[in-house]
Amino acid sequence: MNELIAAAVAAPGAAVALLAIAWLLGIECRERWIARLTGLVYSFSAAALLTPAVRMCFGDAAGWSIPLGEWFRVGDHAFQFALRADPVSLPMLLLTALLAGIIGAFSRTYMHREPGYFRFFFCLHLFAFGAMIAFAAGNLDLLIVGWELVGLSSVLLVGFFYERSGPPASAIRVFATYRSADVGLLVGVFAAHHFRHTSSLEGIAGHALKPDEATIVGLLLLVAAMGKAAQIPFSGWLPRAMEGPTPSSAIFYGAISVHLGAYLLLRAYPLLTASPAALLAVTLIGLGTAVHGVVVGRAASDAKTSLAYASITQLGLIFAEIGMGWTTIALIHILGHSVVRTLQFLRAPSMLHEYHHMHAAAGGRVDAAEASLESILPEGLRRRLYWFALDRAHLDRFLDAVIVRPVFAVSAWLAGSSQNPKASARSEAVPVALQEGADA
Amino acid sequence: MSCEVTTSPAERLAGTVEHLAHLLPAQGPIGVFVHHNTLHAFEHLPFEEAVRQAGQLYGAEPYLSEDEFRRQFRAGRIEAVDVDDILAEEPDATLIPYELTRRQLRRAILLNGRTPMTAQEVRWWLNEGRASADERRRFAQCLSAVQHYPPESQPQKRLAPVVDSLMIRLCSAYLDQGVSHWPMGDREAGFLTAVRQLLAASPVEPLTGIRKEFGEQLERRESAEETILRLLALRQVGPDEEEAFLQDELMALPGWAGLIHRLECEPDLVPHERVPCSLIDYLAVRLSLRRYAPEESPVQSSGENSVPEHAAILYAAVESLSPALPPIESLGRPNLDRFREEVFAFDSIERRRVWHLAYERRHEKLVLGPLVTWFGSGNRAAPAGRPAAQVITCIDEREESFRRHLEETRPEIETFGAAGFFGVAMDYAGIDDAHGVALCPVVAKPRHAVREVPVPGDAGVSGRRKAVRRLWARIAQTAVRSTQSLWLGWLSTAVLGIFSLFPLLVRVLAPRTYGRLRAWLNAVFLPVPRTEVTLMRTGSESHGLSEGLQLGFTTSEKVERVASVLGPAGLAKRFARIVLVLGHGSTSLNNPHESAHDCGACGGRRGGPNARLFAAMANRPAVRDGLRNRGITIPEDTWFVGGYHDTSSDDIELYDLEDMPPSHGDELARLRVVLDAARAANALERIRRFESASAVTSEEAALQHVEARAEHLAEPRPEYGHCTNAVALVGRRDLTRGLFLDRRWFLVSYDPTCDDAQGSNLERLLAAGGPVCAGISLEYYFSSVDNTRYGCGTKLPHNVTGLVGVMDGHSSDLRTGLPLQMVEIHEPVRILFVIEARLTLVAEVVTRLPGVEQLIQNRWIRVAVVDPESRQIHVLRHGSFLAFTEGSVLPASPASHDWYRGKSGHLPVARMGAAA
Repeated sequence: MNELIAAAVAAPGAAVALLAIAWLLGIECRERWIARLTGLVYSFSAAALLTPAVRMCFGDAAGWSIPLGEWFRVGDHAFQFALRADPVSLPMLLLTALLAGIIGAFSRTYMHREPGYFRFFFCLHLFAFGAMIAFAAGNLDLLIVGWELVGLSSVLLVGFFYERSGPPASAIRVFATYRSADVGLLVGVFAAHHFRHTSSLEGIAGHALKPDEATIVGLLLLVAAMGKAAQIPFSGWLPRAMEGPTPSSAIFYGAISVHLGAYLLLRAYPLLTASPAALLAVTLIGLGTAVHGVVVGRAASDAKTSLAYASITQLGLIFAEIGMGWTTIALIHILGHSVVRTLQFLRAPSMLHEYHHMHAAAGGRVDAAEASLESILPEGLRRRLYWFALDRAHLDRFLDAVIVRPVFAVSAWLAGSSQNPKASARSEAVPVALQEGADA
Repeated sequence: MSCEVTTSPAERLAGTVEHLAHLLPAQGPIGVFVHHNTLHAFEHLPFEEAVRQAGQLYGAEPYLSEDEFRRQFRAGRIEAVDVDDILAEEPDATLIPYELTRRQLRRAILLNGRTPMTAQEVRWWLNEGRASADERRRFAQCLSAVQHYPPESQPQKRLAPVVDSLMIRLCSAYLDQGVSHWPMGDREAGFLTAVRQLLAASPVEPLTGIRKEFGEQLERRESAEETILRLLALRQVGPDEEEAFLQDELMALPGWAGLIHRLECEPDLVPHERVPCSLIDYLAVRLSLRRYAPEESPVQSSGENSVPEHAAILYAAVESLSPALPPIESLGRPNLDRFREEVFAFDSIERRRVWHLAYERRHEKLVLGPLVTWFGSGNRAAPAGRPAAQVITCIDEREESFRRHLEETRPEIETFGAAGFFGVAMDYAGIDDAHGVALCPVVAKPRHAVREVPVPGDAGVSGRRKAVRRLWARIAQTAVRSTQSLWLGWLSTAVLGIFSLFPLLVRVLAPRTYGRLRAWLNAVFLPVPRTEVTLMRTGSESHGLSEGLQLGFTTSEKVERVASVLGPAGLAKRFARIVLVLGHGSTSLNNPHESAHDCGACGGRRGGPNARLFAAMANRPAVRDGLRNRGITIPEDTWFVGGYHDTSSDDIELYDLEDMPPSHGDELARLRVVLDAARAANALERIRRFESASAVTSEEAALQHVEARAEHLAEPRPEYGHCTNAVALVGRRDLTRGLFLDRRWFLVSYDPTCDDAQGSNLERLLAAGGPVCAGISLEYYFSSVDNTRYGCGTKLPHNVTGLVGVMDGHSSDLRTGLPLQMVEIHEPVRILFVIEARLTLVAEVVTRLPGVEQLIQNRWIRVAVVDPESRQIHVLRHGSFLAFTEGSVLPASPASHDWYRGKSGHLPVARMGAAA
């Protein structure tokens, strides 16, 4: 069983390796060939994962721990790699294999004749590999590997249409957000190693850490999760990430990638239980995000932004569920939400068609809005709230003011003090790409 | 435009904006896509001049790239003789006495030369490439010859990306037709007021100072004009710079500005929520934001590339002439100057102009050459006797193959082509529609309303149907809305979410099964009442509906409409027992441009109801009496059947068969067999163009393939639409019956022998068909030659916004024109009209149609005329008709399938059915 699970996780990685080798050797990969490979990889992964899943359902096994060996050892401190298939990770692994397969089948037709066909599938496999590793990781060290692969492939696909200026600008923004939030993950793992000399999921469970330590590690991991799951104040990157081809938006921002943050919290839940403060923070962030997602989403006037905020809302609820200790519900919520949102993203270009039919069937009038809170507000406040919604809760403006500009000011100052005129000129040119509006 | 001394600044401003508005794209909301000439605003100019000017204005390409033309030359699509033909028609000059003429130079540059290197390529070539010593020497000579040539100055635009992204957000919210659940407030007061109210209310300013600005504007009750003039004065833009300044502002986001202007002119175009639109408002908002936005300094072009680029152009010319040309340092000053000027005058656009003309000249030869041969061979006479059936389709070039397959399947069938609204301009609402929509060409306004109503006995069924549909709408709406809300969203994702796996799997992996499942569900739950259309109106009873529309048509109006189709087509006496009238449209999923595949003559909608109505009218005895007085005698045993052809799934639906006399049952059954065979054959011919269908070889599989395409969520190319259009024939079917025209010809049935001396029928056909075909052809032309600027780029990142258009990704200008996937196999040639009529008559008729005359005179369309008796062909060239007599090979093949099998590119005209 161990081998089967490991093979299922490794299969997308094998596809990445195969495509990479073909590319290095200059072999022209035909569309059909790539599509077959994709079908094969995810059919295999899904089938291989089905066996342990069925066994687990019938209570044959509580889970499997698959040691992959040791990376290195310094004194008595060792970096171990291990996979873990348990009731939390196995459903996510199965979901990833299934959705990656469906998106692969979809993209086979959708991306047909697109010059970036190869690049798209390469990134898709890289993403699936990363997600599988992150989900199956038995310790946080290995999780980081998968986490970063997901982030990298995500950024590459946001910037997929690099001929225009908008996508790379958005990709840089996404990248910067990811990197800032990932600091939390890195420092959190350092802290875990520092406190407990391990980052394995068992090793950092609540009872092993003192409450203060648990709070520190928990909050650091929360920062990482907030970035990946587009929680406030990081939520502005998600609508910007809608620059890539529609199927990539579906699997990244509707299904797998955005849920990775919630998954990290699920994995860290034993640790969080030791820290009421961290749990409270998770809950509050989640609820805040959910409310903000609903308000902003109501004013969104394009298909993909509207879906992005619908996702953010549910992600917020999932965070809140975890914070309140309803982890099973959170897991089911993740699974259900992934599937619903994937289908909705894939159908997004149909919006005109569907709206038209709905409109006609309803007899000419689709109600603009159900009873809503904003209608009871006084006029001035309503306008203010509308602009709040349309400006996406002013969060990008906020981040620009408190992070982007100070960072650039400092770097410009550093560059200036080194008296390199070229460097200072360059540092002025960069903020433009990162700030609000560079995407137009 | 012209400013008189007395005009006030506000009037001058309004005039300037009105003038500038013409430069914006004229595309309306995308739900109803009507093809039109992308450069309609330039039609008063000759084509070559227009594409040059527009290219400068929009930063767009006027023609295909030089490399593409050279590829076509190497592939044999352009031949040297074509280039020679074009050069021979243009003035020549001596450049170097006894050595070189302009014609020789141009010929050498085009045919022997290479596309000049860019500055970067020059550097690479000199530093890292393999330039031989000899080449270096020659290049150095060129370099010294252009050393003091002035660098081209690039017009520099000031950018304000922050303003653009704000404008996108605001326009999208303002124009939204129902995507958001919380629409923008104060929309009824106009864009400027809505934005003022919004941004004056919030302490969080997008740009520092903007809150105060808009607050003061509100306080002062400033008009949009006053705001603009004040801001222009603040920027110190003088009256003479005003136009250029405002043009830059409008061109920053032409898509959004264009839609606002379009809706200002025609507010009815919006699908759901009417909002007041005004370009002046738009500009006032934009300039207000602009005042507080940090300005990005324009990228200064260093000019360092100018010299090597000029040298490269000269070098390419010198190389193309070598070794005939002596070394340029030996030419002498005056000769060298003249040579250099001549080379630079033949710039990239000029070179491509000649290439393009040669490309079209070859196309003309490929079209007319075989016709000459075909006419010369004394082609088959149409089978005598009563036809087995007659089929009238739209003139659409996509129906050419369908008609050919009908004729191939059963040679006793005759086919005709008429503009797909079949003369019936109406405001129509079907039984499932909420409102009436205009089913007629966009230039016409319907004056009659027609409603589909249940037959008296079926009112109850109809009521049940409505109730079921309403219930469905409520469920669907709740389902969509709920996933975006908080608590219901939790329910629908956390609890019910996993059930979405089933539709997700089926829709992606087995789209056709999903379509069948849906059809089955409809059949089970949705009762279908028998219906009729309200087409009767007796005498004076008028204004049946509130909007000033008349309900139904009087008998004389019906006669008028039926005659308008049958008369020009020459269908006056020889009627079959069944005459089938087929409207068309196209169904596809996940395709914001779905409507672009529908019938252009029905205003970008589906033409089934027009065909149904036409048939119902033609079946009325009173109408037939009226027609008899006009010389159209329809026998009593002739029955008209209306139908609908889906050009995407190749499905055919026939209407009102229960009204047909039982005596025609057998004929109809036989016709159905032929129709089924023809649509399957049509599907097989269509899919040869789809790269992804290369493995499909049987008709049955082809039909399944196109059905799946229409149902597939992931399919960016449900069909290729008008992608192959190139020719429009106005004439009898006899001229082309039996020829394989590769779905590239619009076929307008026109019988010159049935026309009067003034050519009234021809006039009517050209007046309607000319601009429609030209619009389709030119939209495809421009979207092909510059898909980024004139088209809307690849579909893959498109994002439907406000139900009015598509953006690239999350925030961009509204993209207008056609997507890459719709034009990728298009040959960008101007459409060639082939008109069967006397030369003098054509000239006379055209002078009566100013719009068409302008298209012809300014060469936006090409024209050839076939004499109805002698079948001599003349082509219009430089204002006069020249005889085209050079026949070319007309290959023969037993049947269409044998001719196209295994080929995916454009195919030459060939003769079908003849013993090869």
